[in-house]
Amino acid sequence: MLIELSHIQRLYRSDEVETTALQDIDLRIDAGEFVAIMGPSGCGKSTLLNILGTIDRPTGGSYRFGEYELTALNEASLAKFRREHLGYVFQSFNLIDELTIEENIELALIYRNMPKAERRTRVAQAMDRVGIAHRARHYPSQLSGGQQQRAAIARAVVGEPRLILADEPTGNLDTENGAQVMDILQGLNDEGATIIMVTHSPSHADLAKRRIDMLDGQVVVSVRNAI
Amino acid sequence: MLSTVTKSVLRQAYRHPLYVGLNVFGLALGIGAFLTLVQLVRFEYSFNTNFSDADRIVRIDERWSEPGTTPYESADTTFRAIPFLKQDFPQIEEAIPLMGTTVRVEREGHFITFTGKMTDPAFFRIFPLPLLHENTGKSLTEPDSLVLSKSAALSLFGTIDAIGKTVTINQSGEKSTHVVTGVLTAISGPGLLDGVEMILPIPQQMKEKRSCFLFWGSSCSNVFLKLKNKKDINALRDGLPNFVERRASGGADDRISLGPHPEKVYALSAIPLRDLHFHDATVQDADDGVNQNVVDSIGLIGLLALLLACANTVNLATARAGMRAREVALRKTLGASRSALFTQFMGEALLISLIAGVVGMAVCEVLVPIMASMTGEAIHVDYGFILWALPLIVIGCGVASGVYPALVLSGYQPATILAATRMPSGGRRAVMLRNALVAGQFSIAVCIVICTLVIDQQTRFLRTADRGYVKSGLLVGQPMETEDIGLQRRMFDTLRAVPGVTSIAFGELEPDPHSQTRTNFAYNSPGGAVEAQLLQDRISPGYRETYRPRVLAGRWFDSAHGQDDSPLPGESANTTRNVILNEKAVRAYGFSSPAEAIGKVLHMDKTQYEIIGVISDIRFGSPRETVPPEILTFSTLTHRGFDNPVPAVQFKGVPRSVMAERLNRAWRTLRPDIASNFVPADELMEPYYAGDERRGHLFTMGAVAALFIACLGLYGLAAFAAARRFHEIGIRKTLGATAPQIIRLLVHDFLRPVLLACLIACPVAWVLMRQWLSEFDERIALNPAYFLIGISGAVIIAVLTVLGQTLRLARVEPARALRAEG
Repeated sequence: MLIELSHIQRLYRSDEVETTALQDIDLRIDAGEFVAIMGPSGCGKSTLLNILGTIDRPTGGSYRFGEYELTALNEASLAKFRREHLGYVFQSFNLIDELTIEENIELALIYRNMPKAERRTRVAQAMDRVGIAHRARHYPSQLSGGQQQRAAIARAVVGEPRLILADEPTGNLDTENGAQVMDILQGLNDEGATIIMVTHSPSHADLAKRRIDMLDGQVVVSVRNAI
Repeated sequence: MLSTVTKSVLRQAYRHPLYVGLNVFGLALGIGAFLTLVQLVRFEYSFNTNFSDADRIVRIDERWSEPGTTPYESADTTFRAIPFLKQDFPQIEEAIPLMGTTVRVEREGHFITFTGKMTDPAFFRIFPLPLLHENTGKSLTEPDSLVLSKSAALSLFGTIDAIGKTVTINQSGEKSTHVVTGVLTAISGPGLLDGVEMILPIPQQMKEKRSCFLFWGSSCSNVFLKLKNKKDINALRDGLPNFVERRASGGADDRISLGPHPEKVYALSAIPLRDLHFHDATVQDADDGVNQNVVDSIGLIGLLALLLACANTVNLATARAGMRAREVALRKTLGASRSALFTQFMGEALLISLIAGVVGMAVCEVLVPIMASMTGEAIHVDYGFILWALPLIVIGCGVASGVYPALVLSGYQPATILAATRMPSGGRRAVMLRNALVAGQFSIAVCIVICTLVIDQQTRFLRTADRGYVKSGLLVGQPMETEDIGLQRRMFDTLRAVPGVTSIAFGELEPDPHSQTRTNFAYNSPGGAVEAQLLQDRISPGYRETYRPRVLAGRWFDSAHGQDDSPLPGESANTTRNVILNEKAVRAYGFSSPAEAIGKVLHMDKTQYEIIGVISDIRFGSPRETVPPEILTFSTLTHRGFDNPVPAVQFKGVPRSVMAERLNRAWRTLRPDIASNFVPADELMEPYYAGDERRGHLFTMGAVAALFIACLGLYGLAAFAAARRFHEIGIRKTLGATAPQIIRLLVHDFLRPVLLACLIACPVAWVLMRQWLSEFDERIALNPAYFLIGISGAVIIAVLTVLGQTLRLARVEPARALRAEG
């Protein structure tokens, strides 16, 4: 088992209001799984993904990732964990405008202090894999949405992470580009990558091996798709 | 439109107080600094400009270029030239001598001292000063006439209605009674007649006796001319070399002339009255010259402060443009045209500039009195100037700071903006522009800081530099104004007996000398005769103990050596006297070392002068001027007195004020008719050093303002970069960046333009300071430490400026940052 969430809770407190985003989540995910999380807006999908990605902290419960008990780690250790084990794909791509595509992809490796030659090799391989090598020196604003998302996927996989988190990766794309992105994610999963994807698209959710439905901060259904 | 603009600015001030505050405060500071420093520049440029016909008035200066000495120009010119000038140049309407003097009026047993000028009746035809009673033409016609300032009239008579009243003046012990023939109204504007309280005719006796009226080689004060036409100055200048050759030449032994070829060593030049204030900075014997480069630099600092502030506004506005993109898109969607939006944004910039202008004027009102006290000048806020300058500055700053952001903002395409998930950053070009502006701002600030450091170090160095004598415990009196050897001897003995005095000396030169005599001495070297003009000083026993000069070779004067002492009257020709030279004189004669000069003999007329000692150079004058070659002779006050001795004492065990009072009291027992004032040597030299120090303070003020404005700009940029990069930092943290890595990244990004600025600033500062230092005879080296301190200071201040924003960004939670609009 790669991931084990026990009684995960996430509360947001303001001066007058307390909002429960996640409530008593128990979830286990094995290595090599492709999990799609679905649910209506505001049900806590992205919050759950953020907690799985350690960019948000739960207010209760425990989060175990392989040999790590992540709720016990401090900020610096979490940053180290993220750069070594996780890859992210976002709906709005989240590429840095001032960096070229090549530099955006390389960024994840720079924070690992990887030697430059190795970084260059890995970046080239990642770009080849998603078909954007010819756009290496371009800036994000010079690329189409589909190309930007493929660049974001290349950035997510370049470090060979143990888990890829995708937050509505096709949400800003047209059907054709959306299909291309899903093909890439499926290919990665076939090669052994563990993927957790938040999506609103039932057809894309059906491409995953397991589907989790959420409602009001809770997991209501967890089913394995027929392949 | 006006109400829309006003509302928009007020809403921005409410919603984004940091942005509006930085804009208004930065611009106000720039405008305030500019207006303040411009007041000083205008003041300095206004010297001597308020006389009617100022364009037709010139001063005649002398320029000496004796072999072996550094050529120098003197504001004092022989009065011997005046009648010949009038004869030889039909372009001259009037010519007068103008002598500065301290006028002592004896009233009820004590002296009242006034600043005065002695001159000819033509004075009022050259300088038509307004008098309370319009009889300027006759005001100085009688030998006993006297013109008073209002303050002098009030001080003497308690009323300005002083015409016909009499005043008894005691000049150097000689009393004369004068009748007031005119009372000056206030002299408008600063200039050479600043602070003059009395104007009186030069006594006939003085004209007949004093050497500067009789000899070409002697000068004691200024010669002023009024030309018939402004352009006549060219003809005058063209004719002066021939005039010198024609009028100043004479036989080799002729004391009145300058010898057979005066044009080889002596020249006259005509300096327009308007140029004197700046020209006098490089001229000897001038009253109060100011270096024009320094004044221009101060004006430039003011202008740069204004430009820095404008650059800030542009920087902040472009940085913030992206944040207003949605507002622009919505307004355009609702039907606003580009021109309407452009007008709105320009209107906002102008309104902010107007508010800053008003605050800037208030800043100016606060700073001008501070600057006036720092410079010691009577500078006031010139509201007439501000009335026309401020609207221009406001419009200029408003347009300069508003036009680029207004063009950028009004050019946004609404569809693109509304469809985008993130606000536009303005692209790499806008980032480059912002970085270039920050680099420009810091270049100016760092340059000014380095210059300020160098100026400060140089002025400190001048204060502490070796002047060749010991200043500590040295009190210097005033000239005795007598050639009576008996009286001189009695004064010497009386002052020496004052309790607390450890040594006393007489000399003819003192710190800030009252007069200087230079004479040519020849040395027959193996390579041929070498002639050099030497500054002469005659000194008494006790001089070594009092001034403590350093003897570099040979020996000091000794009363036991008969040849050391001044010769008996009638013995002066065909005798040998012992003298001491300073280092400059040794070099002027080509001796390789002080020791080599010992025993060598100089000649002047038929007298021989054997060099028995060499001392280090003694600086009694401005640190900007080269110490002249000097020759010291010795007088034991037994058979040859001094021309006009100045006493100096070293004292011990008594407070300075008590010592001065004791000396003054002792002085009065022998010279009750001459006011006495023993002052520390440092105080006498103060005018030579205070000007640079005061201007150094102004540079400091400018440097602080420039650095502060630049930091405001950087802070604003950091604040907006923090907002703009919030999302990016979220991405980086999601990818595993740690807080220290984020801090390094941000600080590096912020410091890049600052470091570039340092690279630009250093060579500029080096060139400027090398030029400035070259004006001083003694100066510090341009040590790299000043540049390193300037750079380190700028970097540290820049880091501190951006640190708060940087730490805030580095601590951001990635999930929150990713949710934010990027």
